[in-house]
Amino acid sequence: MTTDVSQRFLARDNVYLPHIAVIEKIIDETPGVVTLHFNFKDEKLREEFTFKPGQFGEYSVFGIGEATFCISSSPTRRDHLEFAVQRVGKVTNALHRLDVGSEMGFRGPYGNGFPLDSFAGKNLVFVAGGIGLAPLRSLIWNVIDDRDKYEKIDIVYGARSPADLCFKYDLDAWGNDSSINMVTTVDKGDASWTGREGFVPQVLEQAAPSARNAVAIVCGPPIMIRFTFPVLEKLGFTPEQMFTTLEKRMKCGIGKCGRCNIGNLYVCRDGPVFSFAQIKGFISSEY
Amino acid sequence: MADSKRINKEDTGRLLDEWSKEFSVSVPSRENGMPAMLPWDGKDTSFLEWYRNTVIPPKANFFPPYEKMFDFQKGAEGYHLELPPSDKQKQLIFGIRPCDARALTILDTVFQDTYQDPYYLSRRANTVLVGLGCTNPYDSCFCTSLGISPGESTDVDLMFTDTGDGFFIEPVSDKGRELLAATGGLEDGLEADEARAKDVKEAAYRKITRRIDTGDIQQRLAACFENQDYWEKVAAKCVSCGICTFLCPTCYCFDINDELSQDEGTRFRSWDSCSFPIYTRMPMENPRQEKWRRVRQKVCHKYWFYPVNLDITACTGCGRCIRLCPVNWDITQTLNNLPASS
Ligand SMILES: Cc1cc2nc3c(=O)[nH]c(=O)nc-3n(C[C@H](O)[C@H](O)[C@H](O)COP(=O)(O)OP(=O)(O)OC[C@H]3O[C@@H](n4cnc5c(N)ncnc54)[C@H](O)[C@@H]3O)c2cc1C
Ligand code: SF4
Ligand code: SF4
Ligand code: FES
Repeated sequence: MTTDVSQRFLARDNVYLPHIAVIEKIIDETPGVVTLHFNFKDEKLREEFTFKPGQFGEYSVFGIGEATFCISSSPTRRDHLEFAVQRVGKVTNALHRLDVGSEMGFRGPYGNGFPLDSFAGKNLVFVAGGIGLAPLRSLIWNVIDDRDKYEKIDIVYGARSPADLCFKYDLDAWGNDSSINMVTTVDKGDASWTGREGFVPQVLEQAAPSARNAVAIVCGPPIMIRFTFPVLEKLGFTPEQMFTTLEKRMKCGIGKCGRCNIGNLYVCRDGPVFSFAQIKGFISSEY
Repeated sequence: MADSKRINKEDTGRLLDEWSKEFSVSVPSRENGMPAMLPWDGKDTSFLEWYRNTVIPPKANFFPPYEKMFDFQKGAEGYHLELPPSDKQKQLIFGIRPCDARALTILDTVFQDTYQDPYYLSRRANTVLVGLGCTNPYDSCFCTSLGISPGESTDVDLMFTDTGDGFFIEPVSDKGRELLAATGGLEDGLEADEARAKDVKEAAYRKITRRIDTGDIQQRLAACFENQDYWEKVAAKCVSCGICTFLCPTCYCFDINDELSQDEGTRFRSWDSCSFPIYTRMPMENPRQEKWRRVRQKVCHKYWFYPVNLDITACTGCGRCIRLCPVNWDITQTLNNLPASS
């Protein structure tokens, strides 16, 4: 396996022992999603901690449990770390109840992350839906902070309604950046919505970014991903040029607890980022 | 034979006594109902009469069904995490069967892969395994198909062979050799003992008649992976109770949870099982909601995915999943009847 574990930040040599982190800021993204900014209590770790866009962590609310979230901030912006949480159950509800100053636990970074080096010199097409923008915004900010290394940037982002758009401050910033071609869409607008309406795959088809020297990075609800890949193929993208991150039920995050496998691959360890070529090669449709 | 020893059976208690000075000694015990490797009470050696194999596999001595990972406490300075005191006490397990010792060698691979599992590995490093060859295997045993001989083991430190009124004792590892050298009151093994032990081992080998065909097993599983009819047929009678996985000496899936309150409590892990649909359930979908997918996962994991990743088959042929299944599900039938295609 090719997992890079050169960056291990273990608390007292125990891979299951979380680092204590403090919530520094809370941003309401949508009615069900918050972004939490945090920093490690341990100053040395605060300095040394590094990660790659697309990697994730196991976050603890002590007494409630652990859950899996990608790191949504960019490694190039190290003042603090961020993650975005959609409220769906036990731990996510508990995370929503935290205040600024609350402590939580963090283990990570885990997973492979995006193959950023192989994106250098390419045109980048980002396609995201809903909270699926979380892992991509880490990558997008990283790319923007290293803008010279990459060619054209296209971003297509959509949500069900204007109220469901996450990271509106980013959408504005990217929209105002003349080096980025940004399209925001909603499935259905409301009275005050003046922007695009339509599903992400259709809007992508109209935007029609060229597949020449390009890679597409797609993240969102399974249904969006399913309809986006064929559109990209029509635009000339090969399976090797398309990437996504997969989501499986996870507990350990490090390939031990057993539940996140697709055949012999463990999404926590061998993923969560896969090219569509890899996905096509999976032995099973169980993803 | 060089470095081998012998002991009369009635002296077994004395030997365990001596080892108890240095080790916490575990032996086969029915104290909690289901036979397991439990701390020796200092006198009872009746297991020498009834013991064939444990129901609870010795993995439980290294990877217990419930295990505290750490305690947490919220104070004025925030959260404090406390690891359980590291168990410095040396352990000795007496009587482990060759299949179950192999199972630990198998588990070592996953618990060391990429990230070290500190709980399992520290107990492993602290433990001496004293194997006891089988003389009376079950008809559900098929260890010989997995390259294991019921009377021999390379996965233990010391190996005992029942020669009738005594045991022939052979060191297997350096750790075993050292222990043997430091153990008093043992006679040197005689040539006659060695010859007798050889017969016993061969007889045990011949007693295993159940077989599976492991030739090209990965390719054959791959060929019928999408054969839903076959997997549905195979899974039909399974009631998804999870016994076959909990009691399998090589199954290691676990869950992680917290208990007590947000101010003070424990994070623990507990055995989990791919037999349960909730194991993989997510809000919008579940990749293994259907039972046949879960049964297929169990079989393919052991005989295909695990060896691809870690170079060793995750089954020892101990037969527990056959003997202890409430509906007589049989992994050997499943493997021997694989259809040639989808
Ligand atoms: C690699 C990865 C990255 C993720 N990144 C994010 C992110 O950035 N933001 C975000 O909001 N969510 C993310 N998720 C999903 C998130 O992990 C789950 O929503 C969360 O674990 C639910 O925890 P809970 O205790 O609130 O839910 P529970 O009370 O345990 O269960 C509620 C529902 O969520 C399901 N669930 C539990 N754990 C997971 C899981 N690990 N993955 C998917 N479903 C789960 C349960 O089966 C149940 O249906 C990610 C998941 C993975 C695997
Ligand atoms: S023990 Fe038998 S019934 Fe229970 S999960 Fe295993 S195969 Fe199914
Ligand atoms: S799968 Fe069955 S026979 Fe194989 S090791 Fe596990 S319990 Fe024993
Ligand atoms: S999350 Fe435990 S094995 Fe992947």
